[in-house]
Amino acid sequence: MVQFNFLDWFWLTTYILLMIGCGLLFYRLGKRSESDFFLAGRGLPWWLPGMSVYATHTATDTPIWVSGVIYKYGMSGIWYTFFSAWCAVSAFVSTRIFRRSLAYTQAEWQGLRFSGLSSELLRGWVAGWQVFMNMFILGWVGIAMGKVCNYAFGWPTWVGLIFFSTICAFYVLTAGYWGVVMADFQQGVIAFIVILIVSVNGIIVAGGPHAILSKLQDMGQAWRANPFHVSGIWTGDFPLAWFLTMLVIALLGGFGMGTSIDWYAEAQRIQSSKTVRDASYCIWGGTLLVLTRNALWAAAILGFFVMYPNLSPAEAEMGWFRLGFDYLPHGILGFFFAGIVAIHLSTISTHLNLGALYLTRDIYHHYLNPEASEKTLVWVARIATFILLIGSFFYGLMMKEITKWLIFALWIMAAGVWLPNVLQVVWWRFNGWGYLSSWMANLLFSWLVVWILPHYGIIPNLPDYLQFWLLMGLGALIYVPMTFLTKPEPMEHLMKYYAMSRPIGWWGPVARQAKARGLI
Amino acid sequence: MNLIKRTWTAEEADVWTKEDWLAVIFSSLAYVAIMVGMALAILLIPVGFVVLVFGILCAVFMFWVIDPKLKAISEDYEHKQKEYLKRLEEIETWKQ
Repeated sequence: MVQFNFLDWFWLTTYILLMIGCGLLFYRLGKRSESDFFLAGRGLPWWLPGMSVYATHTATDTPIWVSGVIYKYGMSGIWYTFFSAWCAVSAFVSTRIFRRSLAYTQAEWQGLRFSGLSSELLRGWVAGWQVFMNMFILGWVGIAMGKVCNYAFGWPTWVGLIFFSTICAFYVLTAGYWGVVMADFQQGVIAFIVILIVSVNGIIVAGGPHAILSKLQDMGQAWRANPFHVSGIWTGDFPLAWFLTMLVIALLGGFGMGTSIDWYAEAQRIQSSKTVRDASYCIWGGTLLVLTRNALWAAAILGFFVMYPNLSPAEAEMGWFRLGFDYLPHGILGFFFAGIVAIHLSTISTHLNLGALYLTRDIYHHYLNPEASEKTLVWVARIATFILLIGSFFYGLMMKEITKWLIFALWIMAAGVWLPNVLQVVWWRFNGWGYLSSWMANLLFSWLVVWILPHYGIIPNLPDYLQFWLLMGLGALIYVPMTFLTKPEPMEHLMKYYAMSRPIGWWGPVARQAKARGLI
Repeated sequence: MNLIKRTWTAEEADVWTKEDWLAVIFSSLAYVAIMVGMALAILLIPVGFVVLVFGILCAVFMFWVIDPKLKAISEDYEHKQKEYLKRLEEIETWKQ
């Protein structure tokens, strides 16, 4: 159990007041319009949404996850965190295309890219799915905070979940995305400083860099310092086949939209950027900070490993938190906990606002009340935020094993629709029915491949990278015929989209028609 | 003719060119090298510093290649944005 002194409480209280102040300060800007409440009026310089990208993707469960994989696989576990590198390609490809579309959300973009009934069905489906997913993410991140508070202070897990999410909801409800992005900036800076202090202190406590490497050598574990160590081509815990699959997913995924679960939050940051150039740099810069942070964590967890080499996976997952709680002096401990609150609030605020965006823009505004005034839309946005908050409490309290839920949710989101998410951007002939069918097929196949068929012994329990390829192949058996059996999107619609977004890839027939009509 | 084009008109910048591909390649290299280089450099492993410097150079080159093009795209697009936003709201309210 951690004991706080006056200085510790001072840091924590000051920080929480700072966050609430953010809500009050930007209240007037947030309430002006739907565009302000969700996109800060599309006028932000790249470094503001860029820091938000970094802050959002530093959640309470992130150090738990990173500690677990580095402890298990050594430095090569850092590649588990490399999925975020889809932004390396996306920053200069799909980000550019999406920013030019001006769509508030991915669901709205699909309304521009596809047309007719399939487009409306898709918009409703993706919006509904995103409301659910954001509530779900809020639940699992919230309960991770509950676990950290339980570890540190012995509080029941529901206390950490409800208390901090409610504080966060205050500034999201009042100032919307203005509050989110301004608070994210502070949170990002605080989180980076805290991660730096705890990680460097952890390395020093473990004896310093040379001592860590020499202890690894003495333990016969020198391979742990090699980031390219693999256990074989197909075999072992960390095969080369997994590594190559991850590189394909991470890098080629940047040509698509929605290939990573993070895309949906980044899409909001892309649209809130002032220009196309700002959008590219916000994604690129924010992700660079994420990768730098991962490097810091990886080195610190190697230090933790040499101090505690025989921990269970659950104990190892708390490695980075232990470096903070067990080894920082009083006074700094409160700053460390304020940092944890910062990384927690930045993620919670993003998903509260993002889920409310889909509920307001795609469901209420588009389907229920197209003529709604800006004032009504802002109030609906606030009510939607509140619904997300309450829903997240239920999800959070239902989740027992975070990682198991998280991995399954990620497979549902990523595997079977990964290629369709790329095709919708790069291939003119891919249509709304093809995309919609890939989603339906994926929902069925992912349950079958991950849980049902292995349970009945029909197929073995496959490693995750093989599940990915299998789901991708099975999905293609459905959506490729579906695309060719249904009509392409109307050329008129595609030309308008092309002129506005200038997509990359196989758009020759559309480009020629658009040129002939003088649209480009 | 220069190997890397650094002066763009708005129309030229709208077309996908080798500069975009170079940005994508060097951006990916920068990410890999900075992440790995940083992790190794913190542990004072000499190769880590070399990889880290390589990553930073990749990032600088990427910026040098792509920034003029992004500027040209952005300036031109900002003029058209108003008209596109109008169309977006028309779709939203079922008027188109």
